[in-house]
Amino acid sequence: MPIVLARLAFRALQRRALQSALFVFSIVAGVALVVGVDVAADSARRAFALTVSSLQGNATHEIVGGPNGVPSSFYRTVRVDLGVGAAAPVVQGTVRAGADGAALTLLGIDPFADLQVRQFLGESPVAEAPAAPVQALLRLLAEPNTVVTTENVAALLGIQPGDRFTLATARNRQSFTLVGIIRPRNDVSAQALANLVVADIATAQEFLGTPGYVTRIELVTSDEPTLTRIRAALPPGLALRLVESNRESLAQLSGSFTLNLQALSLLALVVGIFLVYNIMSFSVVQRRVHIGMLRALGATRRQIFATIVLEALVFGSAGTVLGVAAGYALGGGLVDAVTRTISDLYYRVEVQALTLTPLTVAKGVLTGLMASLGAALIPAYSATRITPASALRSADAERASRSRVDLAAAAGLVALVAGLLLTQVQARSLIFGFGALFLVLIGSILFTPAALLIAMRLLQPLTGRLFGPLGAMAPRAITRSLSRTGVAVAALALAVSVIVGVSVMITSFRDTVTVWLDGALTADIFISAPSSGLLETVNLDPSLADSLRAVPGVAEVLTARDVPILAPDYPDLPPVNLVAVSQDLAETSRRYMWQAVPRDEVWQALEGGGVIVTESFAYRRRISPETQTLTLLTDRGPRAFPVIGVYQHYGSDQGIVLMADTVYRSHFADPWVSSFALFLAPDAETAAVLAATRQLVADQGLSVQSTGELRAEVFAVFDRAFAITSVLRSLAALVAFIGILSALMAQQLDQRRMFGTMRALGLTAGQLWRLTLFETGLMGLAAGIFALPIGLLLAKMLIDVINARAFGWTFDFLVSAEALYQSLLIALAAALLAGIYPAWRVARLAPAEAIRND
Amino acid sequence: MTSGSRKIKPFLLFLFTALGVLSALAGVWAAQRAGDNVEAETVVSPPQLAAEGFARAVDPWAWEFPRDHGPHEAYETEWWYFTGNLSTDDGRRFGFQFTIFRRALSPALIDSSSEWQANQVYMAHFTVSDIESGAFFQAERFGRGAVGLAGAEVLPRLRVWVGDWSVQADDGAVSALTIRAVGEGFAIDLALTPLKSPSFHGENGLSRKGPETANASYYYSLTRLATTGTVTINEVDYSVAGSSWMDHEFGTSALSAGAVGWDWFGLHLDDGRDLMVGQIRRQDGSVEPQFGGLLVEADGATHNLPASAFSITPRDTWPSQKSGATYPAGWELVIDLEGGPLRLALEPLLANQEVLGSVIYWEGAVRVTGDATGMGYAELTGYAQPLRGLF
Repeated sequence: MPIVLARLAFRALQRRALQSALFVFSIVAGVALVVGVDVAADSARRAFALTVSSLQGNATHEIVGGPNGVPSSFYRTVRVDLGVGAAAPVVQGTVRAGADGAALTLLGIDPFADLQVRQFLGESPVAEAPAAPVQALLRLLAEPNTVVTTENVAALLGIQPGDRFTLATARNRQSFTLVGIIRPRNDVSAQALANLVVADIATAQEFLGTPGYVTRIELVTSDEPTLTRIRAALPPGLALRLVESNRESLAQLSGSFTLNLQALSLLALVVGIFLVYNIMSFSVVQRRVHIGMLRALGATRRQIFATIVLEALVFGSAGTVLGVAAGYALGGGLVDAVTRTISDLYYRVEVQALTLTPLTVAKGVLTGLMASLGAALIPAYSATRITPASALRSADAERASRSRVDLAAAAGLVALVAGLLLTQVQARSLIFGFGALFLVLIGSILFTPAALLIAMRLLQPLTGRLFGPLGAMAPRAITRSLSRTGVAVAALALAVSVIVGVSVMITSFRDTVTVWLDGALTADIFISAPSSGLLETVNLDPSLADSLRAVPGVAEVLTARDVPILAPDYPDLPPVNLVAVSQDLAETSRRYMWQAVPRDEVWQALEGGGVIVTESFAYRRRISPETQTLTLLTDRGPRAFPVIGVYQHYGSDQGIVLMADTVYRSHFADPWVSSFALFLAPDAETAAVLAATRQLVADQGLSVQSTGELRAEVFAVFDRAFAITSVLRSLAALVAFIGILSALMAQQLDQRRMFGTMRALGLTAGQLWRLTLFETGLMGLAAGIFALPIGLLLAKMLIDVINARAFGWTFDFLVSAEALYQSLLIALAAALLAGIYPAWRVARLAPAEAIRND
Repeated sequence: MTSGSRKIKPFLLFLFTALGVLSALAGVWAAQRAGDNVEAETVVSPPQLAAEGFARAVDPWAWEFPRDHGPHEAYETEWWYFTGNLSTDDGRRFGFQFTIFRRALSPALIDSSSEWQANQVYMAHFTVSDIESGAFFQAERFGRGAVGLAGAEVLPRLRVWVGDWSVQADDGAVSALTIRAVGEGFAIDLALTPLKSPSFHGENGLSRKGPETANASYYYSLTRLATTGTVTINEVDYSVAGSSWMDHEFGTSALSAGAVGWDWFGLHLDDGRDLMVGQIRRQDGSVEPQFGGLLVEADGATHNLPASAFSITPRDTWPSQKSGATYPAGWELVIDLEGGPLRLALEPLLANQEVLGSVIYWEGAVRVTGDATGMGYAELTGYAQPLRGLF
């Protein structure tokens, strides 16, 4: 391209500093969101991998069993009879330490076997003393109740080698001696190992508790014959699993959650692209005369096109680079929220280090450049259509844009129909679900200009009658510069509909959870070990039930056993969360999706050996009334249990399997329970019973909660999970607000001459000010009205398509009047706010200067 | 075009900035790649093992077999030591060492509800010298004396094992033994038949190792076991036959404070005699005068050899690249017997038969020439590290 064109382009940009800044900002915002969410998601995924590594080292396979674990004798079989050297037994559990009961992971290992799995437990190899690793760890074996821990834990507890300190479980409290320190070599390892305490397997087993069993046996082998021999030797109730699939399925736990965030960031990007398109079109319109002159001076269409595209690319790259950097920073903010939610809902992860992969950077760069380029293509094309002759006539552009309105509406209709069809084509894919959502959203938005045109034509007589000639003028002004107003209203409608859609989805969900909790929490007091995430078994002594029954005011005590159980038919999914209850808490209030027996016979059927499963569980495992069995690995091998119903439950998106306690105990030799539910006598005072119960279990570190407290905790977790969604929603709204601001400014500046003429004809500054605000107000109102149905459609799809596919649960679509007027209010406020500055500029316009063409 | 290049400058500036930012991001990525695995080291101060409370080898032992083939857990250390020279029908030679060491961490088992609690730990060393190819194979195993992972028992029949490595008697009377061990690329499966009854070292098996009364162990040998079976090298099985030697020794801190290591030779002479000579080297360059040797006649009759009755003269040295230690290699033995001196020359079948486990020593097959011919094993300890405290 001739250098002179580049210079002109730069000068043009220099003169429109604000627009340039907005362009860059839109790209920065869009790219930053995409990158930030990606960084958070990748960091979460890496956190899983590192957390697994910190516990499982470089194990390739593991042998796992039922609630008790794996009999120690099977380790002997593996080591001695099968001669598998690379096998290590592990006893693992969560313990608490320090005044505030910090949760630590206690890993019991055999020093002789463990270094092949967890090399970090060895010392750096010293040439003179190759035996050092084993001999050092030997101390754990030689001296009972000794542990090693990380620098982090030692600092947290203020202990040094040689010091004694106390660890506690729900059933036990014991003093240990610190004899060594695990020194991580880098920050990430430090985080992964942050909460690790390592002891000899005998020490850990004695403290955590199941004599005769270990938590798992880890293997480091890729030798298929060896694995086959192990499989052949497995007694019933044990299974050989790939650690990798374990890692994968753990990472998948939060996959849906992070995918939702990614979709939301894409939504923000769409808004950003709208914005860029808007700015570029305006920039072209503003330079009509320049471009016309250039054409007259001999610049080719190709050169004009290249100039505009280059301009977009230069600003796009600036925005992209800044956006990737900003995204990395944003990821730092998000990763904390994401890992917190993942720890709340799924699995305790220790790592919060940021992960920036080349893929993420590439995605960010590509997103930014494609968005800039894509948004500039149509304006660049329209620039090539400018001829020297037409350059002075603005109406041409408007006529052209009106024909495009019809085109957009037609495209919108196609996108809408395609989107709705897409939901039917593939009923389970989340990606397809989001694809459909985007098509429907974009389709609806493409309708906006046409709708605006019609609305303004209908409105014109009305405003004219109500507000006189100026009133009639506003709708006409909007329709006249439809190329800008249409895009501005569409962008605003898009942003507001996203806000409405997400809000309606969240409130619907929250209301459904409220109703569900009311039905589920029928007992008065709940006693459990402080939450340490899923897949972590807490062993409480069932005899505690008798002590609880003796507390004055307690009428009845129920127990629940919450354990992860292997389901051999679903090797790629995490273990099943089995809940065995001594009596059904929610018998009368439970909502069933389907049930095979009448409601009042469900408990009887459960006691007869059936199970009921939650909606998410059934969705993930495709359990339908036709495939009514679930196979679980019991102590005596796989057993098929009839599924007699699927019910609504929002406690975990992995779902649970509910079984009668008696049935559970007959299949699993498990003496422990996980929690207690207390019913009070009618005349009992909850506060008094709470106090007495707390005193009873004071030294066991158990949490005693009233129904209200438990409910508050559930909602605290719920709100934390959606906090990040809200943040992204606000960011999307901010992008949209800036979009409408820039569009309105563009439109108002575009009409300088007209306003100048009006001022010259005698309109006062105040009248012009009101006219401008009225105009933007109308646009805001229109955007708000259009956003409503789009937002509700979005909410409906978020609930029926996205949530159903991501989490496998359904909930009621509840629209509050609040959501409706909120939509109007936000759109109106955004438009009016954005209108103030342009209106002020218009009002201050000196007529003579405005009329003179620049 | 001067003004043009001036206008282009910001663009270049931007390009460089962009490259800078992107390479910084690449740096961030590279830095975190390094941390994709958990990397750490664990520093533990050495264990404070109980020194008191163990039984000590002070009085002569009242030997009773097969009971005494089994473990003596009241003593701190114990080992069952097998070495042997084997060959195929067509003369391919192999040497092997198979040893299981027992170490008590405390005199008594600590009371615990855990089946993993153990006060006995076991270590096993397994080597094969493939003379023809010059390869020396070695492996080391550990196991705790719990859950059946490692142990020693004599009832109902002798069995000493670490994982799937074991030596066990075929019957309660220990009239035959089987050794099985598999390492990386090598394995043995051998049947051993004792040809002579146990021979006792020192004072009826009370073998003194130093000046103090406590510096002693109980020590007997099955000096000649007819051996047949299979040696497997890199998945090729070789049917072999030959002779093996078993030492069984137990005691508590047998070495004196000044001891550095020992040189030990167990030789099968072709005339049917078996000869053990050894010396415990001290820091000052002298040898412990209390430790001697043993000659076992073809008929099983034994003669104790005091330290003054023989001399061991190294003829050469072998420097180890791996450990940095310099071992003697090749010896001249002169043993004063009633019928006159017996002069023997010992030659290692392989120079490198160094065991690089948690204890570093040289243990290898040797050929005997001179006044008598035969095969044997030499054990050289304390050249890479002092042994006191380990045994």
